[in-house]
Amino acid sequence: MTVLETKDLRKTYGAGETEVHALAGVNMSVQKGEFVAVVGTSGSGKSTLLHMLGGLDRPTSGSVSVDGRELGSMADEELTIFRRRKIGFVFQNYNLVPVLSVYENILLPIQLDGREPDGEYIGQIIDTLGLEGKLKNLPNNLSGGQQQRVAIARALAAKPAIILADEPTGNLDSRTSQDVMGLLKVTSARFGQTIVMITHNEEIAQMANRIIRIEDGLIVERR
Amino acid sequence: MVKVSNGRCVRRLGLRSMGAARTRNIIAVLAIALTAVLFTSLFTIAASINYSFQQQNFRQAGGDFHGTIKELTWEQVEQFRTDPLIKEDFARMFVGMPTDPPFNKSHVEVSYMEPDAAPHYFCAPEEGTLPREGTNEAATDTHVLALLGVEPKVGAEFTLSFYIDENTKDRQLVTRTYTLSGWWSYDSAVVANHVLLPRSEAEELCALGSGDPYSMTGVWTLDLMFKNSLSIRDDVNAVLANHGLQGEDPSAENYHRIGVNWGYSGVQLSNSFDTGTLLAIAVVLLLIIFTGYLIIYNVFQISVSNDIRFYGLLKTIGTTPRQLKRIIRQQALLLSLIGIPIGLVLGFFIGNKLTPVVMSQLSYKNVFVSFNPWIFIGAALFALVTVLISCAKPARVAARVSPVEAVRYAEGAAGGKRGERTAKKGASLPAMAWANLGRSRGKTAVTVISLTLAVVLLTVTYTFSLGFDMNKYLQNKADVDFIAGSASYFQTSGMFGSEDDAVSEQIISDIDARSGITESGRIYGQTSSMQQFITEDWLRHSWEGWSTPEVLDMMVDNAEKVGNLLADRVTVYGMEDFPLSLLNVLEGDLEPLKDPSKNAIAAVYFTDDYNSTEWGTNYAKLGDTVTIRYVDETEYFWRDTGEVIDDPGILDSYSGSREWGTRSKVYEDKQYTVCALVNIPNSISYRFWGADQFIMGAEQFVQDSGTSSVMTYVFNTTDESEDAMEEFLSEYTDSVQPMYDYESRKIYEAEFEGFRGMFMTMGGALSLIIGLVGVLNFINAVLTGILTRRRELAVLQSIGMTGGQLKKMLIFEGLYYTLLSLAAALVLALCAGPLMGHALGSVFWFFTYRFTVLPIIVTLPVFLLLGAAVPLLVYRSVARHTIVERLRETDA
Ligand SMILES: Nc1ncnc2c1ncn2[C@@H]1O[C@H](COP(=O)(O)OP(=O)(O)O)[C@@H](O)[C@H]1O
Ligand SMILES: [Mg+2]
Repeated sequence: MTVLETKDLRKTYGAGETEVHALAGVNMSVQKGEFVAVVGTSGSGKSTLLHMLGGLDRPTSGSVSVDGRELGSMADEELTIFRRRKIGFVFQNYNLVPVLSVYENILLPIQLDGREPDGEYIGQIIDTLGLEGKLKNLPNNLSGGQQQRVAIARALAAKPAIILADEPTGNLDSRTSQDVMGLLKVTSARFGQTIVMITHNEEIAQMANRIIRIEDGLIVERR
Repeated sequence: MVKVSNGRCVRRLGLRSMGAARTRNIIAVLAIALTAVLFTSLFTIAASINYSFQQQNFRQAGGDFHGTIKELTWEQVEQFRTDPLIKEDFARMFVGMPTDPPFNKSHVEVSYMEPDAAPHYFCAPEEGTLPREGTNEAATDTHVLALLGVEPKVGAEFTLSFYIDENTKDRQLVTRTYTLSGWWSYDSAVVANHVLLPRSEAEELCALGSGDPYSMTGVWTLDLMFKNSLSIRDDVNAVLANHGLQGEDPSAENYHRIGVNWGYSGVQLSNSFDTGTLLAIAVVLLLIIFTGYLIIYNVFQISVSNDIRFYGLLKTIGTTPRQLKRIIRQQALLLSLIGIPIGLVLGFFIGNKLTPVVMSQLSYKNVFVSFNPWIFIGAALFALVTVLISCAKPARVAARVSPVEAVRYAEGAAGGKRGERTAKKGASLPAMAWANLGRSRGKTAVTVISLTLAVVLLTVTYTFSLGFDMNKYLQNKADVDFIAGSASYFQTSGMFGSEDDAVSEQIISDIDARSGITESGRIYGQTSSMQQFITEDWLRHSWEGWSTPEVLDMMVDNAEKVGNLLADRVTVYGMEDFPLSLLNVLEGDLEPLKDPSKNAIAAVYFTDDYNSTEWGTNYAKLGDTVTIRYVDETEYFWRDTGEVIDDPGILDSYSGSREWGTRSKVYEDKQYTVCALVNIPNSISYRFWGADQFIMGAEQFVQDSGTSSVMTYVFNTTDESEDAMEEFLSEYTDSVQPMYDYESRKIYEAEFEGFRGMFMTMGGALSLIIGLVGVLNFINAVLTGILTRRRELAVLQSIGMTGGQLKKMLIFEGLYYTLLSLAAALVLALCAGPLMGHALGSVFWFFTYRFTVLPIIVTLPVFLLLGAAVPLLVYRSVARHTIVERLRETDA
């Protein structure tokens, strides 16, 4: 089952002299339960692609559908609501809300949606990610690896159709990176969670089921 | 070690990092300007009051010169003025004084003044010139012209009769006609009115004098200005000493009379001794410093924590803490350089507008706005000190920052207890907003305090004006529309003692001829000699405050006696029915007073400011018999023998040791029964401290005392005719009967409203400015709060917070600020209000504390709006950037 699909996705920044084709016609699809890594050099358009996939920004042309719904057809408010139900994000710099505890951060997307959290499921996530002892802590008191685990838990909590991770290990040392990658992989397996992850680190990318290579806004190789 | 100057580099860093904080700069400049506005307006008002006070003194003293050498001949004048100690000098020759009507109630001096002296005597012509030599010109003020019935118009002719050698028994009336060369406005604060003549004319008139050595005619005085006014008396004496004279010991031979302008020393005295005023100024100064501190501190504190990474970076690359502090101080000084001048100009303008409002309540005739450079120097210094105090702590924070910490620093990260949150339920929007407020408690507290301060101040002002109780203010005024009496009766040290002060029947019938009078009556005042008989105890009791024990003993010994009672002064009123109805009867009944055959009398008890009866102010009880002695004639007698002195003239030059006294010779004693104990409202009583007071019915008083001098004529009018009556009396007492005056309910009410208005204006202006400071602080807090969280907000949106939810959260934050302020103000009002009310009540007797939270209720919608609108507007500017743009901001 196809969870994510793009058709001739293009994004152009600036105009005239300074025109940059960050995405120059990307066609890709991701199946349910897949763990896909997107690799490429810096400036190749990875982040731009991820933003388009997550509906954080709108493409210049082309389309993105998630879970069978075309993002371009939704209004802002609708898109936001769709996003918090169907898409989870993990960022390089964790981006946790500093005034909320770990537990509150994890529940935040569900509560923003006005839903009751599924206690058992949340418990499993917390368990899987080894966060039991840290639930009351504020994010700033955690190490980078721990913060990223919270971010992953937060992304998982809403049972999204897909998790988009932009350089989730970019700020972590290699040992911690391995830990986090392991967790992502376990998560993907245990919860059947579809994940698209960006990285410029080939070694990290090797842990994914599939690698998509992108260069100058175009997919250059699939495996 | 070679010390390399790094000042330039530090300065450059300071400037560059400043450029990056435009919003911060604007808010800081506004804050500094507002602080300077507050200081400048306070100083302007204080300096203007002081200056006006000084000018008032000079007018009462007759001029603003430092000192005077009196009683000189022209030759002496010329000798003295060569003295090097004297900086400026003005000679003046006295000629004479008009004292016959219409000048009997005015002090008018005819003289020659050197032209430069005129402004110092407040005689600078507004129109025309001083009289020219060799003409029949004269210059004078509008008061003299009005008394003469001459229009103030240059070239008008007027004829003046005045006395030369006025102070001797050979005084001589001369009459001259002059052409008006110039005139100036009458200034009622100036005691003497001047008629100025050309020197030749003055000398010609003086030549007519008798040559009596005591006569003032033809005598010169020399008024002096020295380098400064610090030691005038010593300076004048030094000038005298240079000529072998002295001005201190009248019995020594080389004595010469001098004058020292008390206007100068009076000012110094009042300056250094009025601790109450100084205290009030100090309190306001502290309040302003505090207000300024609240916002300037907040601005810098916030900007430092925003830039903390930058300071950490600077430190990493080797900037010393001291240099970091300097960078921040320099930014503060630079911002002051812009803010303070703006504040000085605005503050002076506001001070100028407020001064007359304050002064109108201080019974000064002349309001001068001082343009003293010290106002600006002082205000600038105070503002600068406030700025430096305010940025001291933020500078310390920046200097202390650890390079490693700084890079990790996020607002609110370090704060908090063990970095935990206990909420188990998860985060709701209001809870998140609340948590956001707690991120930097300092900033939140300061913002809330500054908003609270404004609301509290507003509440105080309102409570104050609300508590100004018109009824209390009027309670010691009689409940009557109009009181007419002699002008001197209404003066501050109100007098009534002779038939000259009485309201004539002519005036009463003029008033009665007006329509609309509903009730009216005369209050007769005492103009003949009366005595009462009291116990020795009471005599001692009533005089002990004023006399030494020895004098008291002597008074007891010398008093005329009837039985064991002693004669003493007494003050008696005679009242017609209407004024009787204005009395407050404590005990008994006033009816018997209306029947002269009853020989009834009412005893007056005074009240204090709070209108409670002071029972020690009279001795008579209901039913007592009071004896009044009406004295027609007194005689002198020797105390040792009791023998009458037939020719009292001999006492003028008597130098022997025999004591003599006076006693009643022809008199009538009459006994009265006390039928009532009463309070009399101040506004219809004798307005000076006198003896024990009693009230008789009008008929009784006239019949027994044989006098009928009306002290005041009191009357009510219908509401419709009140204004017309007011207008009539104002006009009538101005032009037809200038020696008479009146008071009315309207005047009291206007007085009261003026007083209240002053407090409202001052308090309102202060609350407004401090409110502005508070709002500015609030805007700054919200603005920086949102700007520094730009990315965080984008994250929230990326994980699914809708725009609406985000706005809601921000609005909650804004509302928390404003509602917390209101709650704090409410708590303060509840706790401190009654305390303050009590204190005010003891200072202002017409203040009644009334609890009120109306200002808080009124500010509620404003604050709700503010709390919602400011975050929304700020967010709007942030939301212009897409989520991705905001997310990327620090990724780069
Ligand atoms: N907001 C923007 N405005 C202009 N150019 C942009 C913007 N965002 C990205 N780009 C450009 O698009 C290209 C792709 O950027 P990005 O997707 O961030 O690459 P990567 O994440 O692979 O490093 C780069 O050349 C970048 O400079
Ligand atoms: Mg990128």
